[in-house]
Amino acid sequence: MLAIFLVYTAIAGGTPQLRPSQLAGRTDEVSLVGKAVGPVTGDARRAGLRFRLRDVKGTAWVRVVYRGTVPDMFRAGRDVSLKGRLRGDTFVGIPGTLVTKCPSKYTAKKAS
Amino acid sequence: MPELGRAALIVCLGLAVYGVAAGTAGPWSRRRRLAESAENAILASFGATVVAAVVLLAALVRKDFSFVYVWEHTSVELPRSYTLSSFWGGQEGSLLLWLLILTGFSSVAVLLARRSARSLLAWTVPVLAGVIGFFSFMLVLVSSPFATQRAPAEGLGLNPSLQNPYMLAHPPMLYLGFVGLTIPFAFAMGALLARRSDELWIVVTRRWTLVAWAFLGFGQLLGAHWAYVEVGWGGYFAWDPVENAALMPWLAATAFLHSVMIQEKRGMLKIWNVLLVIGAFALALFGTFLTRSGILSSIHSFPESTIGPWFLGFIGVVVLASTALVLSRLPLLRARTRLESPISREASFLYNNLLLVAFCLTILWGVAYPILTEAVRGEPITVGPPYYNFFLKAFGLPLLLLMGIGPLIAWRRASLRGLGRTFAWPLAVAVGSGGALLALGAGSSILGLVGYTFCAFVLASIGFEFARGTQARRALAGGSWVLAFAQLVGRNRRRYGGYVVHAAIVLLAIGVIGSSAYDTTGEQRLRPGQSLAVGGYTLTYRGTTSERGANAVELRALVDVERNGEHLGVMRPGKNEYIAEQQVSNEAAIRPDRLNGEDLFLIAEQLRPGGPVFLKVLVKPLVNLIWVAGFVFLAGSLIALWPDAREQRRLAVRYGRAEALSRA
Repeated sequence: MLAIFLVYTAIAGGTPQLRPSQLAGRTDEVSLVGKAVGPVTGDARRAGLRFRLRDVKGTAWVRVVYRGTVPDMFRAGRDVSLKGRLRGDTFVGIPGTLVTKCPSKYTAKKAS
Repeated sequence: MPELGRAALIVCLGLAVYGVAAGTAGPWSRRRRLAESAENAILASFGATVVAAVVLLAALVRKDFSFVYVWEHTSVELPRSYTLSSFWGGQEGSLLLWLLILTGFSSVAVLLARRSARSLLAWTVPVLAGVIGFFSFMLVLVSSPFATQRAPAEGLGLNPSLQNPYMLAHPPMLYLGFVGLTIPFAFAMGALLARRSDELWIVVTRRWTLVAWAFLGFGQLLGAHWAYVEVGWGGYFAWDPVENAALMPWLAATAFLHSVMIQEKRGMLKIWNVLLVIGAFALALFGTFLTRSGILSSIHSFPESTIGPWFLGFIGVVVLASTALVLSRLPLLRARTRLESPISREASFLYNNLLLVAFCLTILWGVAYPILTEAVRGEPITVGPPYYNFFLKAFGLPLLLLMGIGPLIAWRRASLRGLGRTFAWPLAVAVGSGGALLALGAGSSILGLVGYTFCAFVLASIGFEFARGTQARRALAGGSWVLAFAQLVGRNRRRYGGYVVHAAIVLLAIGVIGSSAYDTTGEQRLRPGQSLAVGGYTLTYRGTTSERGANAVELRALVDVERNGEHLGVMRPGKNEYIAEQQVSNEAAIRPDRLNGEDLFLIAEQLRPGGPVFLKVLVKPLVNLIWVAGFVFLAGSLIALWPDAREQRRLAVRYGRAEALSRA
């Protein structure tokens, strides 16, 4: 019984987690995971922060606009996730859902 | 030097393998010397691990960048005190810390049990050695902290979030908790392997379970406080997979601590208890796996690494082998008595256990859901805080209520008239408090009001229990009230320590409900001179200051705080720019009000020297009770843990009997 209850709630309350390459044609609310690609422009507290999100392992990408709190670690090159919906060719984020994953221990710097 | 570290770990692995082999062969062939040599192998493995840990620590202190690990986790500018956090700032060091605590705990457990529970130790040793073997294997062959390179001039630095006193204490505390759960698991398995049906393993490991559980609980609260003060988003718990990873074994251990009392007193729930201790240990391993494998998307995620499959394999072996062992020993685990009434102390413990385990499984389901849905539907689906919060209320509120009922209800069978007598006062207090809170405006959140009424009920029943006990004690022994109270607690440390812990959980509940159901927030862009009013406070932005700290540039907004026309001071939210790490960290400003436990929490976003600021304001009533609860929790755990000469004598008699039985 517990299992049925759990399945029910999880389906009712869950959010699909997608990569930019899987986004085409989706209009429901999803959680998008990818690598932020610059240039990062705009203002998260006015018209919105604009950047692109690319598959962590891949080349497909999507334009993103986001308003709301931006985490400390956010910058181009970081792995991030945010919730939102695709509107036209731009993924519109929901305020407060942008999360930066802990940097992979500065592996990016190792390369430079 | 790195060679010494590597050699020490290889020695440790060798000793563990020997411990498993000799520890199995010894009791099998009844060769006592062989079994003792396996015990000694465990003691020696601690020595070897200490050598490896000292080598790594020395390299960290010297900032010897020829160690890859040191280079990855320190920098020249990193303050010396935080080089200690670097020890567990990365995967290899964390595993080494785990092994260090594991071998240390195992050695102490072996030494203590040699004196008090010799007959139980024989089959426990190979289980301990097996777990030690797994971790030393990982450190020797999969994830070595002693990899070397040609030393670069500068290190990569430590993640700024870890450059903080909390991170000196929080991770080791969680490890002490995770690893501590190994000891009751090993003794339970040892008892089953030796075909014992008595409760000796529970008696021997009671304090180990309590210690592990207390560290895990306090460690999580420390982590919550760190998140609140340092991460600065205004919350303290976010149901992130890594946070859940620590919560699940704690819930399982909490259930276990309660249900073993039923087995001790009434000889019931034997299978359940063994399953709980297996579950708690497996969840502790699962927690490490979640944190370290990078399988789930978490803000805490560490780099994706190669240790995931190994951990999963080990968890599989642990669960399968121990379940098979339980199944093969089922006849030994038959209950001595049955539940007599659904209204009794043991029944209320059973309900508590079902709720705790159900909540734990709910969290496990939520954590595993993305993995399961990806396997089934090809697309991971995550469940967020609403899912967990729903079940926190659904299971947490009844648990809270049970905390007020369970301790007062009679064993075996409670009569309705007895119940009426026992609960008349606590019920009156609860209804009175509920009414008063409603009049004060707490009706804005119905669940909050229900929660607070339950809290009043539990506090009242704990208070009456203390009062009644003190009165009875004084009637018996005379003397002052204070003396009677001290004697009462001193003579029943487990029971009254437990009540103090219950009081801590109530404080925690009051704080959580206050800060989540009754909080106020506001946010606005402010130019210097402009003000914002939130929750009775008026905040005026005055401008910025900038200072060069030890390894960061510290930029702060100056905000004047007023309430009811009274100037309360200047708060300084802002951000630190770490130079070596090239990272920015948000520094929230918090003003606690000691009178009402409320916090004023300020976050300054988009701050530039002299420019405008986007100010976020959170007013969080009673949030400080959460941190007070941590200390009350610790005090209660210490009371319950404190050695008790009377209890020791009682146990000595029981041990004697158990030993005699096992020889017969």
